Amino acid sequence: MWPEKNIERVRGRDGKDYLVQNDVMFTGVKHTRGEFSRFFIELCDNARILAHRCPRCRKIIVPPSEQRCPQCNFVEMVEEYVRDVGVMVATPVITAFPPSRFKEEIPFGSGYVFLETNGGGLTDQALAVRVKTTAGSIRPGIFTRGTPVKIVFCHERLGEILDVFAVPQSELTPEQIARSPLFEYSLVWTDAAKLAASDEPVFKETLERCVRLFCQLRDKISLSSRARENLKGWLRVVDIKTPGGSFQLRFYTESFVVTRNPENDVQLTFIINEPELLLNWLEDSMKGENEKLESPALTDLVLEGKIIMDKPELETINRLDRIPRSLRRDRVI
Amino acid sequence: MRDVAVIGAGMTPCRSRWLEKTQWELAQMATAEAVKDAGIHVDELDGGVVGIYNDIFEFQAIPESGLQGIIGLANKPLKRCSSGGATGAYTMLEGYTWVASGLYDLVLVLGVEKALDCYDFEAQSPTPAVVQTIGYSWDPWFERPLGHHASQSYAQVVAAYMDEHPGDLDPTVRAKIVELLCEQAQSNPYAQRLGEKVTADQVLRSPYVVYPIRKLETCVYTEGACALIFASRKMAKRIQKRTGRDPVWITGVGAANEPYFVGRDVNRFKVLHRIYSDYIAFQKALKMAKRSINDIQVMELHDAFVPQLMITLAEAGVVPLGHANDLVNEGIIMPGGRLLVNPSGGLVFGGHFVGGSNMMSTWSVMREMYSRGFERGMIHGTGASLSMFGVAMVLERRV
Repeated sequence: MWPEKNIERVRGRDGKDYLVQNDVMFTGVKHTRGEFSRFFIELCDNARILAHRCPRCRKIIVPPSEQRCPQCNFVEMVEEYVRDVGVMVATPVITAFPPSRFKEEIPFGSGYVFLETNGGGLTDQALAVRVKTTAGSIRPGIFTRGTPVKIVFCHERLGEILDVFAVPQSELTPEQIARSPLFEYSLVWTDAAKLAASDEPVFKETLERCVRLFCQLRDKISLSSRARENLKGWLRVVDIKTPGGSFQLRFYTESFVVTRNPENDVQLTFIINEPELLLNWLEDSMKGENEKLESPALTDLVLEGKIIMDKPELETINRLDRIPRSLRRDRVI
Repeated sequence: MRDVAVIGAGMTPCRSRWLEKTQWELAQMATAEAVKDAGIHVDELDGGVVGIYNDIFEFQAIPESGLQGIIGLANKPLKRCSSGGATGAYTMLEGYTWVASGLYDLVLVLGVEKALDCYDFEAQSPTPAVVQTIGYSWDPWFERPLGHHASQSYAQVVAAYMDEHPGDLDPTVRAKIVELLCEQAQSNPYAQRLGEKVTADQVLRSPYVVYPIRKLETCVYTEGACALIFASRKMAKRIQKRTGRDPVWITGVGAANEPYFVGRDVNRFKVLHRIYSDYIAFQKALKMAKRSINDIQVMELHDAFVPQLMITLAEAGVVPLGHANDLVNEGIIMPGGRLLVNPSGGLVFGGHFVGGSNMMSTWSVMREMYSRGFERGMIHGTGASLSMFGVAMVLERRV
C-alpha cells in the first residue's frame, strides 16, 4: 500500500515534538526462477514433481535446489520424478500472526514433506508446503510427524510453490490417493460452519451476557490508550452467531458498537457453537493483574476450531486478544 | 592467535521505538559509553566492526556508511556484518579475529538496529510490516511464498523437537521460564520491559503467534545499540594500568551454520528437531577454552523464543536432549540453581535489537562477572531460517 505523502509531528517521551514521515522502500522486481524453472514448469504444465538425484551417493532432493552434489565434490545431479505422496517430517505449524503480505490468509499451516520415490523409498530432502484440511480451517491435531499426505495440485497453476499443497491421506478415498495428479477441484470440502441453533434458555442467557460484557468492554476501552491503539484504524462489521441468537460488532476508529439489530453490510462472520467459551473470554478480559484467568485466547479458539470464521481473516480476533492486556497495563481494570 | 580482551561496554536503553533517535545517534550514544567505560580516547581505536541486520529496518542500503565519522572512525576501517539473528555474535567473532590475528590492537565492536519505523499503513500497525521485513530473509522461490517467517520457522523446530521428545518443552515449564526472565529483567536498567510483570498463568493464556509458540514466549522487537571495545593483551594491560579494572577475556569461540534445506542427514541437511549449529558452536568454544559446560557460571543465550532457548540449553549440554524440562523441574536455572541464565531478561524482556542484542548479552555477562564475582560465562547467538546459524563464546575474568 502506497501511503499518502505526509510528515506528522509526534510527541516523544521527553515531551518534545519529532517529525515522522510516511514513506515506502519500493523496488519493482522481475526475479528469475533460473535453474529452478524446470521444476516449476513441471508443476505448472504437467502436474509432476521433479527431483534431483546424485548418481554417486544416491541422495535425492526435492525441491531440486542444487544442480551438483556438494557432498560428492559437486558431481552433476540427474533429474528424477518423485511421487505425489509422502509423510510429514514433523508436526506442521500454524501461523496466526503473519507477515503483511499474508494477512488475508491466516490461519494457515505449513510444514515439510518427505515424498516417496518411484523406487519405494523417501526423498532425502523435504519439500516445504502449505498443509490444508478438507474439513474446516487448519487446526492442531490433524497432522503430526509421519502423517501420510497427498500432494494436491491447484486447478489454476502459475508455476510457483503455491501451485501445490498437502492434505492428509486419511481425508481421501483410496481412489483419490491412487489418482495422480490429484487436482483441487476433485476434493470434497466439508462445510465446517454449521450452526447448531437451539431454543435452550441457557444459550439465550449466555448470549445476553456476552452482549452486556462486550458493552462493558467497549466502555473500558475508551479509558485505555493502549486498547484504543489496538483498534486504531480497524473497520469491520462482524456477525457473531451462536445457538441462542446473533449480534453484531461494528468496529470503527478505536472502538466498536454492539448491536442486536444486525445490518446487511457484514464483512466477517464468527460461528460459535459453545458461546460459554466467548463468555469466559469476556469475563477474563475484565479481570485484574493478579486474578486467575480461565479462558484461552480467542486466537486459540479459532485455531482449535471452536470459533469458525467464514473466511480466513484473523486480524479482528488478534486485535480483540490484545485488549485485555492493554486494559491491565493501563490499569483500567 | 593472540589473546583478546573485552575492556569496555556501552548500552543505550532498549525501546520498542526510539522516536527521539535515529540509528546514527543510537550508534554514537553506545560508542561514547563504551569508550568511556574502557577508559580510552576514541582516537586510540584502530578500526571497527558493526552489526546491522537489515537494510530495510534502517531504510538505507549500506547503512554503515553514515556511521563512519559519527562513531569517530574517520579514515579507519569499518566492516559491516549481517548474519540474521546472529548478527551481533558474528560481528563479535569478526572483531575477535581482527585482534587475535594481530592485525589490530584496539577495535570497536558495535551493534545497532532500528525496526519499528517499518509500518503497515493498511493495518495501521508496525508489527505486520516488521514481520514482513524479517520474512524477506527467506528464499523467494520455495519458502517465502508460503509465508515462512521468523516465528513460523522457529516454531517448526520446536514442533519437531516435541515430536522427537514427547513431553519435553512442557508449556508450564516454558511459562515458568518466561516468569523468571521477567523477574530478572527488572535488575537490567536498559531492559525494554522494565516495570512489567508477566506471570506463568498469563503466558499460558496468551494467544498463539504460531502454533505451538505463544505470544508471551517470544522476543520483542527493539531499537537500540550496544558497543564493546576489544583489545589485544598488550593493549589491555596498558589500559588496565590506567583504569585499574580487570578485563574480561574471550577464551573460546565457536561458530557453525546448518544448511538451509530440511532433510534426514545432519551432515548434509537441516535436521528439524535439532539446533545442531548450536551444538557445534558450544563444543568448539568450550574446547578452545579448555572448559566444560559445567565450568560455566552465567550464560546469556539468544532466546528468540523460550522453547528454542530450552533446546539451545540442551544442545549446549546443560541438560541432555529430551530433558529440557529439568532446567526448571530440577531447579538448574531457577533462583539458587547451579547456572544463571539470561540475567538481563534476555531478548524476551531485555530486548532484541538484532544487530547488537548478542553484544548486550556480553555487556550483561561482564556486569554479572564484576558484580557477583563470577569467573566464567558464555554468550550465544542464533538466527536465520530454522535457527540455522550458531555462535558461542566463552568469557573469563582471569587467564
